[in-house]
This record gives sequence, C-alpha cells and structure tokens, in this order.
Amino acid sequence: MPTLEAADKVTGATLYVGDLVVPGMAHAKVLRSPLPHARVVSIDAAEARALPGVVCVLTRDEVAAAGIEPVYGFVYRDAPLVALDKVRYQGDIVAVVVADDLATAEAALELIEVDYDELEPVMDVDAALADGAPLVHDTFSPIAPELRPVEGTNVCHRASIAWGDVEAGFREADRIYEDTFSAPPVQHCALDLHACVAAIEDGAITVWTNCQSPFPLQRELQRIFKMDARVIVPYVGGGFGSKSRDRLECVVTAAAQLAGRPVRLVLTQEETFLTFIRPAYRGTIKTGVKDDGTIVARHVRFTVDVGAYAISGARSANNTLKVATGPYRIPNALVECDAVYTNKPPSAPYRGLPTTQHTMAYETQLDRIARDLGIDPVELRMRNLVVDGDVHITGDLLRSTHAKECLEAAAAGIDWGKPSERPDKPAKLRGKGVSCTIKYTLTPPTRLSENGAEIELREDGLFEVRIGTVNIGQGSDTTMAQIAADGLGVGLDRIRVVHSDTALVPVDSSTTASRSTYHMGNAVLDAAAKLTADVLAVASQLLERDAASLALGPDGVEADDGESISYEELVRRSGGPLTALGECVVGGTYTAPDGTEYPIASTFWSFASAAAEVEVDTDTGEVRVLRMGAASNVGKAVNPDSVRTQLEGGVGMELGPTLFEQLVWDEGGQLLTAALMDYPLPTMETSPLYRPEIIEHPLEGGPFGAKGMGEIGSVITPAAVLNAVYDATGVMFHEVPLLPHKVLAALEGRK
Amino acid sequence: MKIELKVNGKRERREVPPSRTLLELVREDLGLTGTKAYCHSGICGACTVLLDGAAVSSCSLLAAQADGAEVTTIEGLAADGALHPIQQAFIDHFGFQCGYCTPGMVLLTKALLDEVPEPTREDIVRYMGGNICRCTGYAGILASVEAAAKALSTKD
Repeated sequence: MPTLEAADKVTGATLYVGDLVVPGMAHAKVLRSPLPHARVVSIDAAEARALPGVVCVLTRDEVAAAGIEPVYGFVYRDAPLVALDKVRYQGDIVAVVVADDLATAEAALELIEVDYDELEPVMDVDAALADGAPLVHDTFSPIAPELRPVEGTNVCHRASIAWGDVEAGFREADRIYEDTFSAPPVQHCALDLHACVAAIEDGAITVWTNCQSPFPLQRELQRIFKMDARVIVPYVGGGFGSKSRDRLECVVTAAAQLAGRPVRLVLTQEETFLTFIRPAYRGTIKTGVKDDGTIVARHVRFTVDVGAYAISGARSANNTLKVATGPYRIPNALVECDAVYTNKPPSAPYRGLPTTQHTMAYETQLDRIARDLGIDPVELRMRNLVVDGDVHITGDLLRSTHAKECLEAAAAGIDWGKPSERPDKPAKLRGKGVSCTIKYTLTPPTRLSENGAEIELREDGLFEVRIGTVNIGQGSDTTMAQIAADGLGVGLDRIRVVHSDTALVPVDSSTTASRSTYHMGNAVLDAAAKLTADVLAVASQLLERDAASLALGPDGVEADDGESISYEELVRRSGGPLTALGECVVGGTYTAPDGTEYPIASTFWSFASAAAEVEVDTDTGEVRVLRMGAASNVGKAVNPDSVRTQLEGGVGMELGPTLFEQLVWDEGGQLLTAALMDYPLPTMETSPLYRPEIIEHPLEGGPFGAKGMGEIGSVITPAAVLNAVYDATGVMFHEVPLLPHKVLAALEGRK
Repeated sequence: MKIELKVNGKRERREVPPSRTLLELVREDLGLTGTKAYCHSGICGACTVLLDGAAVSSCSLLAAQADGAEVTTIEGLAADGALHPIQQAFIDHFGFQCGYCTPGMVLLTKALLDEVPEPTREDIVRYMGGNICRCTGYAGILASVEAAAKALSTKD
C-alpha cells in the first residue's frame, strides 16, 4: 500500500527543512578551510562584519566569549563547532557568517582573512599509520565506552574479536587463501541538502533539522548551551546515513545566539561532500578450507578511514567486527580493526557501513575458492551457510536465518544455472554471480529500552501515534501506523502519526542501522496493548460490562452483547484523552528453550542474498548490470511494498559505488571530485531489471515477527556484481568502482 | 528589472535583480516550495519546471529568460484538488520514497508524455535518464511512467 504521505509528496506539498521559513530568520554561510591540515594563526573578520547586511561573524573567539562548550560529539567528542587551534581537512569549518540574505553572506566570506600555518597532511590510512606521521589529533576524546584509541598514533580505535583458535584452524586447513580488498570514499548524495534553522527564545533553543538522530542532538545542544532544547525533524529527503549524526546544528545554534535572531543554514551540494562521506575501507581476508570446501578458519584485518573527526566512524568500524566473517559456520575466527584519522572530511555511516565491504571481501574470495576447488559457487555456499540453531562467532544463537532460501530465491531471479542470452557482439561477455551476507543492528551492551512510543486516544476519536523515528523516505510513518492499527484492532483511517519532534514524542536513540521496524514497531505494539487495556477498563465502567466481554471496534468499544460506546464519547466521559507509553527492551542474554544462555551481540541478525547478471564490453571496459536478483529474510513484511522498494532502492543506490562513484583527492589534500559534474550517479539508464524477493520467517520478539531491512539491498550488491564479472571474464577484482579503464587494464593483464 | 510571466495559470509581475534564477523566483519570490534544489548546476533535475511546456532545469535559467512565458510548477499540475493521472500513477506504482525528486520527475513525465504519447520503454529510459533519484533505484519510476502513459492514452 502507498504511504500515508503519498498525496503530499506527489503534489509538492511536503515541507523539508530547506523549505521552512521562520519569521526574522537570517542566512548563514560557512567559511571553509582551503587546506587539509594547518594551524589557524589568526582570523580577521573586521571587514566582513562591516559589510552592510552582515549581522555577525562567529569564530573561535565568539565561541569562547559565549562560554559554550567548543567541541561536540556524543560517540567521539572531537569535532569543534568552528576551528580552534587547527583545521583538519580541506573544507573544515573555520567561521560562520550571518547576514540578511545569502548573497551578502557569500560576499562577506571573501572578506574574512585567515592566516594559516600549513602542516603536512595525511591523506590515506597508509600515510596516517606510517612511522612519524603527523597526528591529526593530539589528544583523544572517546565518549562511547567501547572505543580504544592508541596513544601517540592516528588510530582512534583498535579492537578485535576472536572465536576458537584461528592458528590451529589454519593448521587444519587443506588450502589457505589470502586476498586484500579496498573501496574508496563515496558520498550518499541524498537530494535533500543538509540544512537547519536554529532559534533561541526565552532561554530555550529550537532547531529544525534533517538529522536522523534528534534526541542525541537534543542532549548535545543542552550540554553545550546549558539550556533547554527542542529538535524538530520534518520529512527528510533521504539520509542513507549522511544525516545520522549532527554536524551543523550546534554551530548554527551558536550563530543564532550571537545574531540574536533565528538563523538558517542550507548547504550546497559541494558542501555536502565536505560534511560527511563514506569512509575508505581496506581489508585483508585469510581463509582456510578443507578440500571439500568446508571453511575451518578465517582471519580478517581491516582499516576504516574515519577522516578528520571520528564523530561516528570509530564505532561503525567496531560494530562490523561481528559481521566481517560472513553468514558462515566458522569454528575459528579472528577479526581485527583499526579506525584511523586522516585529513579528509569526517566519515558517517553509509547504508550498510563496512558490512558492505566485508561482504565484498569474503564473497569475492569465496568465488575464487569455488573455482579453485571446482565447486559451483552456490553449492559451496550451501555447504557453509549458517542455519537456525548455529552459533555465530560472537556466541549468539542464530534464529530466523534462512540464508539458504535467500540464496536460492536471489539466484532464481536471474535464472542461475542457465547460460546468459548471447550478447549483440562478440566483444561482449556475460556472466552471473551471487552474494550472501549477515548484518547486525545497533544493540546496547546491557538490557534496557532505547526508545519509547506513545499512543493517545484523542477527543476526536482518533489514535495518535507518537514516534521518534525520522521519516527519511523509508515509509516509517505508514509501517508504524499499520502496526498500531493491527495492535489496537482498529482501521488505519483511525490512526494519525506524529514524528521526530523531541517536545512531542518519546525518546528514540536514532533512525539508523535498520533498527526502527523492530525497536519502534515493538514500542508501538507495547503502547497499543497498554492503551487497549486502559480503554477497555474505562469502557467497562461506562458500559457496566466486564472488560473481558469488550473489544476495540472500528468506531468504538463494543460489547459482545451488542452494546457499544464511541471513542469520542468514551474520551469525553472519562474526562480527557487516554495515553499509553510503550517501550522495547533489548540486550542482555537470550535463554534458549533448552535453558542454555547466549550473549546478544545483535538484537536480530539479517540475512540476504543478491544475484547479478552482467555484460562486460571488452572493447570499452564498460560493465552493464542487466538483472539483479535480491532476496532477504525480513521476518515479516509489515508493508510488503515498502520492503520491496527498499530492496530495489538499496541495490540501485549501491550500483553507483560499484561501477563508477568515487571521491578522489590530490596529494595536496584537495578534493578533485568536488561536485556532481565530477561525480556520476546512477540514472534510469544505468539501472538493471530488479527481481526482489521477500522471504518471511517470523523472528521471535519482532513486531508480528518483523525485522528491519532498510540497508540490506546495498550490502549484498558489490559482491554479486564482482562475482558476475569474474564469471564473465575470469578476472577477479579486488576493488571498486569497476571503472572502464581499470576493467580494460585488468583484461589486458589476463591475456 | 521587471518581469511578467504566468505561473500555474496566474499572471505574476515581479521586480527582480538581473541575476535572479527562475528557481529562486519560484521558491523565494512566489513561495512555491514544491520545486526543489540540489546541484544548482542543471544536472540532477530536482528543479525541473515546465517552461511553455518544455522541461527545464530552473536553477540554470535566469528569471528574466522566463519573461512572457508560461511556467508550470508541481503545484500547478493537479486541477481543483484532483490529482493528475501522472501523480496518481506515481502513487499507485511507488514512483517515490522520500519524495524530494518527485516534483521534478512528475513534470518531466508530463513533458515526455506531451511530446511522445505512446513511448516505448527505450523512449522512457532515455528521456527520464536526465533526472536523478537516489531512493528508488528507478524501478518504481519506470513503472509509474508506463502506467501514466496508459492512463492518459485511454482517457480520450
């Protein structure tokens, strides 16, 4: 079914942050560092301030004078609002100009004189890890307890997990394979540009923003400014992780405080490339197998290039330790990661995070193993894929897996086993490839509830569902409304949804990591159950009937003897609206039916497969993806159309980084691919035929058995395409994107 | 400088700086925020409006270039609160998720179907290839355009 907001979206009525106008609002522009690494010796903004129409200029001096906390970040507190002693990437925020209009603000930027003392930059992980490398940060400031920086280096987090005895495992192996894979930075390119409006009135802050984590942002604002804050997130035009953390709101609030007026900042597309990017990845994977293809040991060492500020990049690296070995039964495993600072823009989660790159690594290597052993790639996977009841390398008991069924369904989508149709010229080669993955969701280390949902039966007889989940286009309002309607037993037409306003909805940790359907869905169900009990209790008194004989009906509470009371009348006679708060408790340990206790490293695990059919033009090096099968076990598809379109969208989006998207810097630290003109995106012309399949095996504990799946389409895509190209050409690629000149060079090398 | 044009059937007269783009005129001077902005360089199509029936990137046109012309924005497509068949097709066939590219996509579809009432799939792909969507992977958009073409051809 279409989303609740569909009519507004097709008529242009939906308001995004960039559309909002607050009375008296002034306009901000950001002065950005032209250098990747430098000391900020002095800033002279006098001429800018004197320009007619300029309201104020915010620099480190004004931040200090205001007595506000100069650095933000709730996972890693290492990002200054504006540059303090140093700038750490080309594009780093140095000052903010506020003016009556944008043109004046832009003109004022030119009038600010900054004196820089250039420092040597480190532009990739190798440079950052070299002996004697310049340090991006002189001190570390991790907030999340699991982060482990290495003093005196650029490593902001180092960690590992181990399972079994990986050295013993390799000794048992008949064959050992080692490969290194890499992926460059890319950008999310959500069309809704990062934007926020900040206003301070009566000693309280209000921020309208398109951030995907309004409550953590609220806490940061309160900590930094020592006043109450309200964060309002309207409909967002795509996030994909680029808005998962705050980046602008604190500095725009500081500008509003200085200006004494509301201030709006809307980034340009070029600026989004300098705000949050997907981190560069490199991983070395060593796998030991028996001659029959059974995996006996796997060792993965990977680095994540977090850029200039860790904000969230270090924890993302840490989170993917648990999925780096894949959805396979592996008795001996070791996974090690380094999250490394460089002088590039800060990294943000990007749909799937490094899980996508891990999948690319272990799946592409697996096809090499299959070819070497003479085993069909699907068959080799079937021998090793986990099933319900297997224990993962984290110690978790795996349930609702059905990874084999996903693989079968995805492969069937491209007629696996049948040769491709003949291409239109002999220089074109066709091939097919598959991929499998395992994904985690954000999980707390102890048992608690990270989000609530509230439902109110209003005077008008409608049920208002209040959720912190940000609607970034994934259909969350509709999914939660459906869950509420089913939980209450009323029609969808009786449900209204209020979202992501910290003054109106209960706390939620974030809209990230495919967590919302499960966590917020469960909280909504919990609230529905509690509200139902309250409503029936009130109805029981009003109707003088036993509550057990009553039920919520389409227009009111109905007794089994035909007596009824409308919702409107029930609320009126009970003295006011009825409200219930639901929660979703996660974490702790899981006790299986046989009494065994297992850890919970992930509240739920997701399994999916993709299958790609490609055509490689050996004259031009161009790779075209003809068909993509994709299947995921989602537990239960609350809104099957939403699930199907998320699968298609995830696959379609990731074809960009697989085939042609990449961000490139020169040795001097300047971003060469600075704008859309230098950065091609997938269009309808580059898109394949999609064959999405929804697999449903209810997850115990999920709302109606559902799990989240917003990212999984992206995670499985590069691996399937690389494997299809391998099948077509015999060349195994270890990096993306598959640019034509790289493909040609590799084909030459094969001859 | 003074310009005079029709926007969604209504005559508008405005005094604007010479550098004013058509996008700025629509969004800021006329308050029609349905037309969106992303790349500001004529590539992504989020700012698509119809200028005398032709699809244009309004970020790359000066408002002055629309003097004397008829401009249609997304707000002008539905008649008296009833959705245009193209809009209905986009709803029925999941032609959007976040909705940000949708005004541009819908207007581009209008321009396509006005020019080529019975497009082949190749026609659609080539024509619509000019507008970017990051959410859908384009499957839903292709289905929506095909459905809209059918709906409009059976209308008369």
